[in-house]
This record gives sequence, C-alpha cells and structure tokens, in this order.
Amino acid sequence: MILKLANRNIIGNGKRSLINMFILAIVLVGLLWMMSMFYSWINLSKTQLKEWEQAEGMLWQKDYDPYDAFSFDKSLAPISTDQVSAINAGKAVPILLSQAVAYPQGRMMPTVLKGIPYSQSLLKIPSSYLKDTGDGLVPAVIGTGLAKTMKLEKGDILTLRIKDVSGVYDALDLSITHIMRSPVPAIDNGAIWIDLDTMQQYMAAPGYASQIVLEDSSLMSLADENWLYKSRSVLMKDFNEVLQTELASQSLLFGLFLFLAMIAIFDTQVLSLFKRRKEIGTLSALGMTQQQIIGLFTVEGLLYMVYAVLIGIVLGLPLFLWFGIKGWVLPDSYSDFGMIGFTETIYFKYPIWIILLVLGVMFGATALASWLPTLRIARLKPTDALRGKLK
Amino acid sequence: MEDKLVVISKMSKAFPTGEGDFLALKNINLSFAKGEFSGIVGPSGSGKTTMLNIIGSLDSQTEGEVKVMGYEIKELSSKQAADLRSRHLGFIFQTYNLLPVYTVYENVEFPLLLLSMSKEERHKAVMQALEWLGLTDKIKSRPAQLSGGQCQRVAIARAMVKQPGLVLADEPTANLDTENSLHILDMMKKLNQELGTSFIFSTHDQKVIDYLRRVIRLVDGEVVSDDTKAR
Ligand SMILES: Nc1ncnc2c1ncn2[C@@H]1O[C@H](COP(=O)(O)OP(=O)(O)O)[C@@H](O)[C@H]1O
Ligand SMILES: [Mg+2]
Repeated sequence: MILKLANRNIIGNGKRSLINMFILAIVLVGLLWMMSMFYSWINLSKTQLKEWEQAEGMLWQKDYDPYDAFSFDKSLAPISTDQVSAINAGKAVPILLSQAVAYPQGRMMPTVLKGIPYSQSLLKIPSSYLKDTGDGLVPAVIGTGLAKTMKLEKGDILTLRIKDVSGVYDALDLSITHIMRSPVPAIDNGAIWIDLDTMQQYMAAPGYASQIVLEDSSLMSLADENWLYKSRSVLMKDFNEVLQTELASQSLLFGLFLFLAMIAIFDTQVLSLFKRRKEIGTLSALGMTQQQIIGLFTVEGLLYMVYAVLIGIVLGLPLFLWFGIKGWVLPDSYSDFGMIGFTETIYFKYPIWIILLVLGVMFGATALASWLPTLRIARLKPTDALRGKLK
Repeated sequence: MEDKLVVISKMSKAFPTGEGDFLALKNINLSFAKGEFSGIVGPSGSGKTTMLNIIGSLDSQTEGEVKVMGYEIKELSSKQAADLRSRHLGFIFQTYNLLPVYTVYENVEFPLLLLSMSKEERHKAVMQALEWLGLTDKIKSRPAQLSGGQCQRVAIARAMVKQPGLVLADEPTANLDTENSLHILDMMKKLNQELGTSFIFSTHDQKVIDYLRRVIRLVDGEVVSDDTKAR
C-alpha cells in the first residue's frame, strides 16, 4: 500500500524527482565503474607480479634484504641438491643478485645486476635473449624504464663493474640484446639481467644464488637454514600497502560524491516535508499513524534509488560492456597520482559482490537521507500540520 | 448514556503563548448523541476548530474529560488516536485537503487502504460513495481539474466512504458559493438521515445554521447557548 502511495507521489513530483534519479544514477554508475576498475586493476597487477616476479613464492637467502642494497653482497648461498633437482625439473628458478656500477656513455650509475638461467620459462622475463652468442660480449636484457634512464638502445654495449665474492673488482662488457617492456615497474626500471652461469663465473660463486623462485607453494619444503620461504602474501605486502593508500584517497573522493548525492535527496525531502505539511496533517486526520507517514516519506526517498538503478542500467550497461570487452589503458599520468604504474589494458570485471556492495551502500545512504528528515514528522502536531498552509 | 457519541465535561483547552497560557476553550460541558446534525457556531477565533480537533483526537484537552465513542481522548496514544480516526471518524475541511497527485477515485479510496479491506470491497464502497455524491463521472479526474464544489463533494465522499459514526466538518462551505453550499448541505443531510451518520459542523455561515438541527453558540471559548430545533 505504502509503496503504491509513494510511487504516486514521486511521479506527482515531476522534474525534481527526475533530477534526483539522475544524480543517483550517475553516482551509482560512477561508483560501480570505479570499484570494478580497481578490482580489475588489482587482479591484473597481481597476475603480472606473479608472472614477472614472484611466481608462487620465493626462497630468499637469509641475509637478503630488498631494502638494503648493501645486503646483496653477502646474501648468496649455495643451492642445495634438493633445490638443484627442483630447478632441473623446471619447477624453480635461481636468481643471483649483485650491486654493480654501470658506465653508460661515460657516466657512472649504480645499479643492480641479476643473473637468471637463460633457459628458464617460469617467469615472463625474456631470458632466451641471454644465451651466449660467442662474440665475447655478455648478452643482457633491460626494461624500457632503465633503457630510458641510461639512454640505451638495443645493440648498445655497456660496461659494468662488479665485485666478486672475495671483494675483487672485475669489469665486463654487456651487449644489450633486448629491451623488454614489463608492466611491473620494479622489473621495467630495475635491474640488468644476464645469464646466471655467466654471472656466477664473474662473481666466482659457482652454484650460488640469492633467490629461488618457486612454481608451487608446496616447494616451500625446500627452505633450510640458508633459505627462508617467502609466500606470495608476504611478497605482496608492499603492493597491498600502496594499494591501501590509493584506495583510501579514491574512496574519499567518491565518499564526497556520494555525500553530495545524499544532500540532494535530503534537500528534496526537507523541502517536500515543508511543502506538504498540510498533506501530512490530512494523512494524519484520515487515520494514518506517524510511523506510517514516516514510512511513506522514507519509501518515497528510497524509490528514487530504485528508479536510479533502472536508469543506471540503461545508461551504464553500454559503458560497462565497453570497458569489459574493449578494455581500458590507464593513462601514463596515472602513475603520477600514486598508482603503481602497471600500464596494461585492463578488462573490467564486475563480480557480483561489487555490484551488491555498491547497491547496498547506495541504498543504505539513500535510506538514511530519506529517513532522517522525516523524523521531524514525529515532532509535528497534526493540528499544526493542518494549519500549515492556511497561513 | 448508551447512545452518547461524544461526552465533554468541564473541558478546557489552553495554548501556551509568549505571555502565559491562552484559554481557547473554557469549561465546556456538552454531549452529542448518535445521529445528530449539529453545529458549533461562533465568530472567527471563538474556538470552533480547537473543539473539533479535540473531538477528532487530533489534539487533546488540558482540563476535564472528553469521551469519544467511549475513548477518553487524553489517554489515547498517538497510535490509538490514529486508529480511532481511521475507524470511526470522518473529517471535512474548509480547504478540502484532497491529495493533489491522486485521482478522485484514489482520494476516496485512501481511507479504506488504511483498513484491511479487499480490493473488491474497496471498489464497492468507493463506487457507492461516489454515487451518493454524484461523482461517478469524475472518477479519473484529479483535484486540480475540479471546481470547489466538486472538490468538497470528493472530500465528503472520502469522509463517508468508510461509513464512520461521526463526521467532523470544519467550515465546509466557507470557500463555496451559495448554490454549491446548499448542494453539499443537502447531500450531508440526506446521508445523515439515510445512514444515521452523526455530523458536527463548525461554521458561522447562516446557510449552514439554517440546516442544523442543533446550534451550539460559542463566544470566546465559552458555550453561550445550545438550542435544538423541534422537528
Ligand atoms: N496552536 C495554537 N497555539 C496558540 N493559539 C492557538 C492555537 N490554535 C488556536 N489558537 C487560538 O485559539 C483561538 C481559537 O482558535 P480556533 O479554534 O482556530 O478558532 P475558530 O476555529 O473558531 O476560528 C484563537 O484565538 C487562536 O488564535
Ligand atoms: Mg476555524
């Protein structure tokens, strides 16, 4: 009954109803768009991190500290026989790290050198370019980011100085055989990659590594007194922290957006309660209880949301389908806003929980904005309400 | 005592104002029987509306007793008062107070929506009320499309549709011309005779006064006379 009455009133309210519905519909579509953008972006980023860097977890040499480049010198340990058999079976990939100094075009730049077996296929790093060609130069692969900072192109030769395990400096000439484009910033801007065997020779550390990337989390059993297991969730900690700040700032923005929409509803309600004082008095005289009248006005506000959902479906569906099928490339400038900078095409996904969450939040907020102003009905005496418009 | 619909004794109503309380009704002793067609008559500001509001359980007295259909107004919760209005009381206002976005049919149907009635029962009752008031050709119209006289007839149909025991009509002719006034008065009189519905008016319109069987004169919140015409 109340629903029927509320619906009649909304339709009777004409233009103002329409404006409210559109505001709500836009916020709804915007909120859903943002949520699924984030969701899809996070998913993509996680997949990329897995494919390029983390696989299903890693073993770290116990002294390795990613935040302390000086720790690299001592963070290497012999690969155990069990680990070797996993590596030979293609289930694990050892990586050796070292600080190095590069001399691109006569300048001096500290950098990190990473050794990885050229034959590996666990990570997406194009290691096949690291295979020795016998020209006396060491084949090396770098990311587009590092290529830009060092002003290097494919085919360039780069001189590098590294220190071996006994502290003796050695120089080697690298030939840049490939410049890879990785969506993972740490890979794209980070290290210079060469073949593991070659690096072990230069480091005078045959059979040593700093990290072992694992294909499966069950391989955590390969951890021992030299090697600590780092699960993916541990490795994701940094990423998640950046994510949280990003989410917080974006939520703030949309919270504001949502707030403004609620003000519109709130305002409509306050105005309509004022304009309809006499009507409230009449409803009361006709025998409606205060609860029923409050319910009627609240349902009226909520109905805006129901219509907004319908409008949102009509307006939003093409948009959502477009972003789902055609995808979206984050603009480069996004990294300036604190996005981590995974610039790959994002194909939007719309999991049901996101849709329900957005709808839930919007309905909740609308209910509140519709209901709060009606509380004054409870304070309004029917006799005063009836006289309301006569004045 | 049985057929007393309303019993008012030693009733006063004070409104708090800036300079202390204002006594709008003073020591009222009145009773209304079933089937009465009576009116509270007095100049503007004499307390007519205040009296009807109290009888209609929209307000309550500050002193004395007011019993409507056996219920003491002062003791009703707001929910009980709403229930009393919904079941037993009909209201007619000077300004009609129709719900503007509803059609004539929907306006008349409204009070029945508050009672648990089936759609068929509602339809029957609404059509009958519209027939009493000669509005069957205006079912789909909205209040804005109707004349004042037609609006007031819709309001009467809305008050009558649930066949309440008592209808309270606050200056129902004040916004109507003579012809329309007489027309609705005829109709209400007829309903009073045929259905036995009691009417209490408030008015200072001589046309209405001429129709009343009982005239209660109110001056400055006090009853100064109470005359029932011989049949
Ligand atoms: N809510 C109120 N607060 C203060 N004074 C009121 C209120 N309602 C009515 N009055 C006063 O009570 C007196 C009677 O009012 P009312 O019953 O409306 O008179 P009538 O209907 O006979 O014109 C008037 O003087 C009016 O100003
Ligand atoms: Mg009055």
